[in-house]
Amino acid sequence: VHSMDFDDTWHPATHPSGAVLPAVIALSEAFPQKKKISGLDLLLAFNVGIEVQGRLLRFSSEARNIPKRFHPPTVVGTMGSAAACAKLLALDQLKCKNALAIAASYAGAPLANAATQTKPLHVGNAAKHGLEAACLASQGLQGNKQILDMESGIGAFYTDYNPQALPTLQSYPWLLDQQDVAIKRFPAHLGTHWVADAASSVRRKLVESSDNLLPLDKIEKVILKVPEVKYVNRHSPTSEHEARHSFQFVACSALLDGSMSVQSFASENVHRPALRELLCKTQLEHPPDNTPSFESLYCEVSVILRDSNTISDRCDTFYGHWRKPLKKEDLEKKFQSNASSVLPAEATEGIIETVYNLEKVEDCSVLSTFLSGQSARELSEKL
Amino acid sequence: PEETVTSSFAAFIHAVRPEHLSKTVCHRSKRMILDSIGVGLVGSTTHVFDIALQYCQLYSSVAVSSVYGKPGVKLSPTLAAFTNGVATHSMDFDDTWHPATHPSGAVLPALLAASQMLPPGTKPNGVDFLLAFNVGLEVQGRLMHFSTEAHNIPKRFHPPSVVGTMGSAAATAKLLSLSAAQCAHALGIAASLAGAPMANAATQAKPLHIGNATRLGFEAALLASRGMEANPSILDDIPGCSGFSAFYSVYQPKPLSTPSDHHEFLLEKQDIAFKRFPAHLGMHWVVDAALSVRNLFINYAGSFSPSLIRTIVLKIPVSKYINRPFPSSEHQARHSFQFSACTALLDGEVGLSSFTESSIHRQELRELLDKVVVEHPEDNVANFDKMYGEVALLLHSGDVLTGKCDTFYGHWRKPLSKESLLKKFRSNASHVLPEEKIETIITMVDNLENLSDSSQL
Repeated sequence: VHSMDFDDTWHPATHPSGAVLPAVIALSEAFPQKKKISGLDLLLAFNVGIEVQGRLLRFSSEARNIPKRFHPPTVVGTMGSAAACAKLLALDQLKCKNALAIAASYAGAPLANAATQTKPLHVGNAAKHGLEAACLASQGLQGNKQILDMESGIGAFYTDYNPQALPTLQSYPWLLDQQDVAIKRFPAHLGTHWVADAASSVRRKLVESSDNLLPLDKIEKVILKVPEVKYVNRHSPTSEHEARHSFQFVACSALLDGSMSVQSFASENVHRPALRELLCKTQLEHPPDNTPSFESLYCEVSVILRDSNTISDRCDTFYGHWRKPLKKEDLEKKFQSNASSVLPAEATEGIIETVYNLEKVEDCSVLSTFLSGQSARELSEKL
Repeated sequence: PEETVTSSFAAFIHAVRPEHLSKTVCHRSKRMILDSIGVGLVGSTTHVFDIALQYCQLYSSVAVSSVYGKPGVKLSPTLAAFTNGVATHSMDFDDTWHPATHPSGAVLPALLAASQMLPPGTKPNGVDFLLAFNVGLEVQGRLMHFSTEAHNIPKRFHPPSVVGTMGSAAATAKLLSLSAAQCAHALGIAASLAGAPMANAATQAKPLHIGNATRLGFEAALLASRGMEANPSILDDIPGCSGFSAFYSVYQPKPLSTPSDHHEFLLEKQDIAFKRFPAHLGMHWVVDAALSVRNLFINYAGSFSPSLIRTIVLKIPVSKYINRPFPSSEHQARHSFQFSACTALLDGEVGLSSFTESSIHRQELRELLDKVVVEHPEDNVANFDKMYGEVALLLHSGDVLTGKCDTFYGHWRKPLSKESLLKKFRSNASHVLPEEKIETIITMVDNLENLSDSSQL
């Protein structure tokens, strides 16, 4: 899920779904035949996993900004996965507590592996270790019952940590109700999405129609006004992982091509001469009012031409951000484009159907069956 | 290749050879290997071990590696490492170093499992094994020297989960003969698998820290061997984007010298402490002090008569997770100054049986615990190199008897004699192994340099 940095992002910052969904799907397949997990069970467990992550992120003011020390999915994601799995396993309260306690001992990976091939492991391990924690708890393993209360518990990952008890279940205020996620339109760090929208808009102003090539030799400089985020500041990325974590790369790509896609990060495109040339002319500026938070950051792209004219544009909210969510058609388009690279049309249709009607699905193993590539026809034969 | 701290570590791991090991280092490390195996064997009789084993048996893919105390049972290599690591730390009976961590449990299980995993014909010999083990220790020690925080008893992250994971990655990378670049990536990947908070100490989950350290470090090396890449500067200090520095508030890394220059292993200068009974290291000072004052008391009163005692004063360093007036589980009892002192006073010794349910809850012990008062003298620093333990008995008669321990027997300043170490090993191993096997292990470890196939171990 995280291999291309294409997955969802929340505020405060983390990638919530990737840490939870794989664990609950895998777990749902592991139940014995006679015990069916309904779509509603799955949906509830999933939401428990998301909610727990959101609540934990609110215990520290550090979490509101783009991270610097620990990669959030490895901290809260592991806990969310443990919570979701504990829910699906219907563990009693004590075991749920132990699942969280055990999970804390698996949590936490440093940010330095972002922009490397190891970063996807962060989400993979969050899901896997959370599941493991829940399994160990269900077998009776015990941890510290105050793991969320103590500074030396989950608090160890933050310099300021102020935990709060959850509200009662009486009309429970889910965080996802108040705060939606951002869905990416192309596989790269969320910060680059502002850059892409601003750069595409500047390009439209620069060329008459999208068939015209960008007049490279007329460009003197490209200036990007972005927040200060060291791990996305890469002047000359050499791998796809680095390219996905580079303001400069996305700006130049979008200027050249008009829009970003999965293909933008293919090796040929990362290394093409036109891009390299444009990268050399690109520099970053960090205006003090541009705070490193996904809630408030902006991006301004200015292209300074040799004749001294300047074309710029600014993006405050990119399309896909929670303030400007993807429309249903565009979400489906992204899904279809992704899924069709490995699944037949019947399976992709089946998944969309199933997910939209998840509350009514009696046996969510149909989801797994579609994921494995079987068609609806084979499925009904199987049933 | 740039001269980064990370690349110096990778170069060290890759290039160090058996010739670089000194006699002292060989000697000390073999003692550690023996002790660690014994502790793992007795640890296989614990409940937490049972849970870990049952869990791992759900995944029986490539079951080639053995499990302590369970002849015939095999697990996949990383899960065997996990289970054996859990066993090693299950009773808090394993070795401790300075700066503080439990070095052997994080490294040995991975190496044992890995040597069984390698195909015949490429099996590492005893020398390779001993070298890889020492690489694992050395990396842990060096990393701990990068932060002054590490010199004191930890508060935030449990050190084995931080440096232990890195040590295991380094040791396994060495055993698998990875290239220097792959060694760097193994360290990088391992960093993303490191770090567990202290809060789970004194709970049943604590042994997982060592189990996971050895397993995940091993996993990191395996992933690196298959081409996975991580941040090549993971050990360097890069402001604004934390690597390994994430686990410390103060972090000053230094490059390792290449082995061709005269490289002195840390184990040469700083030996390890072996525990005489299964409890947190801090308890050992208090127990020796309690035993000494107990002798005084018996001379004074003729026998140990608790009714004559009004108050028991313990002078100990400040460390929240080992200060427990009334522990209610074996895990808590192993992390309680009060419990250790009172048990030593009552029984005249502390051993495996001191931590059974019935022992923990006995009436006479509870009565003694009631009389305990704790003091934290300013000069008693929470540091395994500097702390002391003092036990004072304030009698109803007004007399005061005191016992103080600066260096307990088993500490690196007063190391266990060969006989004592063997006695501990035999006692531990006899819980699950027959006598001939026990003697075979002792001989094999003693002659490790001459072993042609270390998977025999």
